[in-house]
Amino acid sequence: MKAQAIKWIKTWEFGLAVLLVLEILVLGAINPTFLNLENLLYSTSDFTHILLAALPLTLIIITAGIDISGVSIMGLASITLGLTWVAGVNIFIALFIALGVGILAGMFNGAFVASTDVNPLVITLGSLFMFAGIAMGLPGLLDALGFKAYGAAGFAAYMYEGISGLPHNFNQIAHGGIGWVPYPLLIVLIFAAFLGIILHKTRFGRYLYLIGVNADAARYSNVPVKSTLVTVYALSGLGAALAGVVLTSYFTSARSDLGKEALLTIITVVVLGGADIYGGKGTIVGTLLAGFFIGFLRQGLLAMGVTSDVVPVVVGGLLVVVVALKLFITTYNQRRLNQQALRISEERR
Amino acid sequence: MSRIWRSRELLVFLLLIVLLLAVGLINPNFWRTRSLMHILNSSLILILVSIGEMFVILTRGIDVSVGAILGLSAVILGVALNAGVALPLAVLLALIVSVLAGMVNAVGVTFLRVPPIIMTLGTLGVYRGLMLIITGGSWIETIPTNIKFFANWHVLGVRFFIWVTLVIVILTTFLLRRFKKARYLYAVGDNEEGARLMDIPVKKTLFAAYTLAGLFAGIAAIIFVAQIGFVPMQAGNGQELRAIAADVLGGVNLAGGVGTPLSALVGAIFLTAVDSALVFLKVPGYWNNAVGGAILLAAVYLDYRVRMAVAAQQRQARAAVRKENNHLNPSTSEEQT
Repeated sequence: MKAQAIKWIKTWEFGLAVLLVLEILVLGAINPTFLNLENLLYSTSDFTHILLAALPLTLIIITAGIDISGVSIMGLASITLGLTWVAGVNIFIALFIALGVGILAGMFNGAFVASTDVNPLVITLGSLFMFAGIAMGLPGLLDALGFKAYGAAGFAAYMYEGISGLPHNFNQIAHGGIGWVPYPLLIVLIFAAFLGIILHKTRFGRYLYLIGVNADAARYSNVPVKSTLVTVYALSGLGAALAGVVLTSYFTSARSDLGKEALLTIITVVVLGGADIYGGKGTIVGTLLAGFFIGFLRQGLLAMGVTSDVVPVVVGGLLVVVVALKLFITTYNQRRLNQQALRISEERR
Repeated sequence: MSRIWRSRELLVFLLLIVLLLAVGLINPNFWRTRSLMHILNSSLILILVSIGEMFVILTRGIDVSVGAILGLSAVILGVALNAGVALPLAVLLALIVSVLAGMVNAVGVTFLRVPPIIMTLGTLGVYRGLMLIITGGSWIETIPTNIKFFANWHVLGVRFFIWVTLVIVILTTFLLRRFKKARYLYAVGDNEEGARLMDIPVKKTLFAAYTLAGLFAGIAAIIFVAQIGFVPMQAGNGQELRAIAADVLGGVNLAGGVGTPLSALVGAIFLTAVDSALVFLKVPGYWNNAVGGAILLAAVYLDYRVRMAVAAQQRQARAAVRKENNHLNPSTSEEQT
C-alpha cells in the first residue's frame, strides 16, 4: 500500500498536479480574484480549444506519429459550419457536418500515414497547407459549383470577414454552462474521459503503445496497425473540428483562419504532459493537467500585466527547460541505478 | 549516370519544366524572360532558408525555428539601420544574431539532448516573442533606401541577389561533395551510432548543422529587408514549413543522410513557380496553399510508389538469380539458404 503510494507520487502526472496547484496559489497570492472558483472555471473557455486538439494528439504521439494539420482542420471545420448554415441548413446539423469534415480530414491523414512509410510530419505538413487552402477557397468553390447562399453576393462575400450573426443557441455553446461549469470545459472533460478510457482501458489503447514502441513487432503480432492508425488520426481530426466549433461559438463568427496560432501551444501541452515525441509514452491525465497549467499560466501572465508578446517566450522557454530537465533526471536516475547495481555485484563477489 | 536519372532533383526539375510549358501554352506571357526571372527572384529567400534547413535534415534533425530566426534578424537589421548604424555593420549584426539563434538550438540539441522538434518549437516561440518585444509589435518602416538599392542592382543583366544565391548554391554543393567535414553531415544522419564509432565528431557536426541553419536564415533576412523595404511582424511566418516542404519535394529525406543543395534549390523554385503559375492561370491567390500542399503530398506519394516498385523489381531479380543457381548447382544453393 505504502509502496504503491510512493510509486504514485513519483509519477509525472502527480508532479504536474502539484505544479498546477502551486501555480493557482501563486497567481492567487498576486491577484486574489484568481482564486474565485467561478472566475477560474469561466476563464478556461479561453484555452479549451488547445485541450480539444491536444488530447487526441497525445494518442498519435504515443504511436510515434505527429499531426500538425489540426490547426488547419479547426479553420476548415469553422468555415464549413458557417457556410452550410448560410446555405440554409439548421445550425446544429451544420455542426455535425463540420465534425464529419474534421473526421474525414483526419482519416485522410491516417490512411496516408498507414499505407506509406513517409514521415507523418511531412504528410501532415502537406495536409496543413492543403486543408488551410481548402478552407480559404471553399466559399468561392461553392459559388462556382452553383450552390445558393443567403444574400446576393454568394458565399465568396464571407471569405475574408467570416460569417457572423450565428443563432443565439449556437453561441451559447461557448458562453453558457451548467451552474459554474461552462459547456466548453464540460466538452473537454467528456472528451478526455472518452479518450482516457480508450487509451488506458481497451485493447485498442494497448495497441497504440505497442505501435509506438515497435511498429514492426506490432505488425508481426497481428495488431491491425493500419485501421488503428486511421482511427487515431480520425480522432485527432474530430478533436480539432470540435475545437473549431467551440472557437466559432466563442468568437460568434465562423472564419477559415481560426486557431492558426495554436500549434506551438498544442504541442507544448502534449509534451509537457509527459508524452514522448519518439513514441510509447504518454497519458490523457498528463495532457489534461498540462493544458490547464499552460492555460492558467498564460492568463496569469496577462493578468500580471505581461504583454501577450512575451507569452510565447515564456511558453517556448518552459517547453525546452522542462524537457531538458526531464532528460537530465532520467539520465541521473539511470546512472544512480547502474552504480547501485555495480556496488551490489561487487559486494557479492 | 543511372543515379542521376533516378534522382528526385531531376524528377522535380522535369515536373517544373512541364509545369512551365503547360502554363506557357495557356498564357504565353508566362514564357517571357521577365516573368521567369521574376519567379527566380521571388524564390531567393525560400532557396536560402531551405538550404539552411537541409543541413539540419541531413543530420536527421528538424528545425522549425528558421522562419522565426529570419524574422528576428530582419528586425535587428531594420532597427539597426533606422538607428543610423552603417549598412555593412548592420548586416553583420543581423548575421551574428542569426548565428547566435542557431547556436542556441545547437546547444539544446547537442548538449541538453532535447529532441530537435521540441527544441526548435520552443525557440520558435522565443524568437517570435523577442521580435515583437524589440519592435513593440509595430512594423519597421522607413528603412533607409541604401539597402533597397541592392535588390534592384543588376549585374550583367541579372539581379545582384540572384548572383549571390547562385554562388552560395554552387559553393555549398561543392563543399558538400568534396569537403570531408561536410560529408560528416551525411554520415551522422545516415547512422549516428556508426559515425560515432568511426570517430566522427558527432556533436560538433550537429552543432554546425543548426548554426548553419541559423546563418542561412540570416542571409535570407537581409534579402528580405532589401526586397520588401520594410519589416512586417509576419516576416518569415510559416517560412520554416515552406522550407521543409521545398526540401522534401526536392528529394531531401527526413530520415537523414540524403539530399543536396540542388534539392533545396529545385524544390523552392518549384513551390514559388506554382504560386506564379496560378496567377497566370487566373486562379485566385488563396488557392496557393491548397495546391502547394497537394503537390507536396502527391510528390511524396509518387516517390513512395517508385521506391516500392524498384524494391520489388530488385527482389524479383534476386529471386530469379537464385532460381537459376538452384537449377545449375542445387547442392551449394541449399547450403546458402
